[in-house]
Amino acid sequence: MTGTGLELGLNSFGEVASDAGRTLSDAETLRLIVDEARLAETVGLDVFSVGEHYREGFNDSATPVLLAAIATATERIRLGTSVTVLSTNDPVRLYQEFATLDAVSHGRAQLVLGRASATESFPLFGYDLADYERLFEEKLDLFMRLQTEDAVTWSGTVRSPLVGQRLHPRMRPGGIPTWIGVGGNPNSVVRAAYYGLPLMLAIIGGRPQRFAGHVELYLRALQQFGHPVQPIGQHSLGLVADTDAEAVETWWRYWQPVVASIAAERGFYRPTRERYEAELDQGALFVGSPETVARKIAKVARDLRLNRFDLKYDILHLPREARTHTIELLGREVAPRVRELLAAERTYA
Amino acid sequence: MTDLVFGLDTFGDVPVDDSGQPVSHATAIRQVVDEAVLADDLGVDAIALGEHHRPEYSISTPETVLAGIATRTSRIRLGSGVTVLSSDDPVRVFQRFATVDALSNGRAEVILGRGSFTESFPLFGYDLRDYDELFEEKLNLFVKLLDEKPVTWHGTLRAPLENADVYPKTESGRLTTWVGVGGSPQSVVRTAYYGLPLMLAIIGGPPERFAGHIELYRRAAEQFGTVAHPVGMHSPGFIADTDEQARELFWPHYKVMRDRIGALRGWAPIRRAEYDAEIEHGSMYVGSPDTVARKIAQAVGRLGVGRFDLIYTVGDVPASARLHAVELHGSKVIPMVRELLDDLPRDQETA
Repeated sequence: MTGTGLELGLNSFGEVASDAGRTLSDAETLRLIVDEARLAETVGLDVFSVGEHYREGFNDSATPVLLAAIATATERIRLGTSVTVLSTNDPVRLYQEFATLDAVSHGRAQLVLGRASATESFPLFGYDLADYERLFEEKLDLFMRLQTEDAVTWSGTVRSPLVGQRLHPRMRPGGIPTWIGVGGNPNSVVRAAYYGLPLMLAIIGGRPQRFAGHVELYLRALQQFGHPVQPIGQHSLGLVADTDAEAVETWWRYWQPVVASIAAERGFYRPTRERYEAELDQGALFVGSPETVARKIAKVARDLRLNRFDLKYDILHLPREARTHTIELLGREVAPRVRELLAAERTYA
Repeated sequence: MTDLVFGLDTFGDVPVDDSGQPVSHATAIRQVVDEAVLADDLGVDAIALGEHHRPEYSISTPETVLAGIATRTSRIRLGSGVTVLSSDDPVRVFQRFATVDALSNGRAEVILGRGSFTESFPLFGYDLRDYDELFEEKLNLFVKLLDEKPVTWHGTLRAPLENADVYPKTESGRLTTWVGVGGSPQSVVRTAYYGLPLMLAIIGGPPERFAGHIELYRRAAEQFGTVAHPVGMHSPGFIADTDEQARELFWPHYKVMRDRIGALRGWAPIRRAEYDAEIEHGSMYVGSPDTVARKIAQAVGRLGVGRFDLIYTVGDVPASARLHAVELHGSKVIPMVRELLDDLPRDQETA
């Protein structure tokens, strides 16, 4: 805990790193991530989360397995996902995997469930993208019941029925912290509120403040559904370096080609230098010196009433030194500075 | 005989604590991690974790536990025993094990099987009537995935794949993959067809009755033009300081488990005399380090296998007694077996 109610975390999508110009192998990258998580704990960060992807260069296809390796390399940091693609997972297997992770980590497991912005998992596991909504809806219902009920009887259209089913290993009573990740869809915000689950906003482009309406909607919906207030988190991309100039140039070199390829694939915005600078200044990129990034996080934390901020620090081929340095600076300099800024704001308020 | 491999296998049975109370599943899982760390320290070659979906077993996702073990160990091989491939997805199994392989610097080994229990079929929505076909098809796909190139595959029990590339890739380029067989000759032949190593589950009766299976595996591999790898065997047992301690301590826990499974499979409750006979002449490796070592050396020598895995947990044996059994196996039994086999004439060794 940072002491102000704002938790700081790291997200990795298992993206291959480079070392002195050489691209690391998938396996080397996975071992690097375990070291990075260990470092995150050492520098005092609160949460380490990994995503779930099925494409070249991304090594997070078996999320709970990677987290379990981190679990025995750490003692305190909480271990989660960013996000688990519930739609193409089996809630039963997922329960078993996270119950096991929770055991191996002495109760540090949590997860963020989402529908994913990449679609590779649908054909890979034999699902139809046309069922996107229904898959998530039904599986969320089943997953929450598995976590809260002892023996579950369930039937639906996206999976075979269960009759008085108990799962093993048993999860801790009440289940593990489960967040809903949303990319901007108001229906998803309302669904999170309906279940009374914490909300993780994935803000990967544009002004984060435009999500203020979602936050209002979420808090109002929670109240209407009769649930207590739940934590709100933000996931965004970025890099921390010793100076603004160094951070801005390093990130540009690795971010530009990635966004260019997503732009071609998903009709995302084109990564022009102008757009990049706008993202740095007012947008969703948290790139800069510790002071710059701390100010930006503190501002958005206040504007969006955040309880948690996760920085996604890896991007394809980013040198391992830059990744390591981001983690060190985030824990040792950004976190205390954010704490200071938020405390000062409270004093003036 | 230095290339002989010795392993410890468990299904994550829920043990009792020192006051006789069963521990939680979470504690049972951490106990297995601690046992694996001890086994690694003592130089045991391999640990294999089975997949089950029953309340008395804590492990339903072996790879998640293996990954936890990976970070805390440096040498021991990390396997499943078995992964129930029939009710799992070969793509997911590959991804999970390739991840364990990366995290352990290449120590992962999958042991695929059909499972001797059937709970996973209704749990994951499969029809037991497809028992054979499910394994056949999924093994076929899994073997394709082992090439680590884009896969195009069509079958009847899983969605097709069109030029699908699966990540992460392994450093060696090939994931070590065994097939676990309980006694079906067809399964032995299938394993030989794919050129995969064979792990025999020998859980009752004299081990020599499996000599025919091993011969069949070698003959079939020759006919298929594939490689016959050294065969592995896995059998249950328990080690304590003396024969009497081992037998007396193990018996009540073993009986409860054996009768529970027996009730499902139509076996009569086990009598003490049968238990003693199984220890004397059958496939139960129960006793002092000396007794167990002699029995293992005899089975390994007679069958000419290249690997022996001891299922060191059967039933709710107390956690402390289990840990002691692991210690005795690593520090005494394995070195003694190696010594005993070194004294054997060459022609009785692994083919």
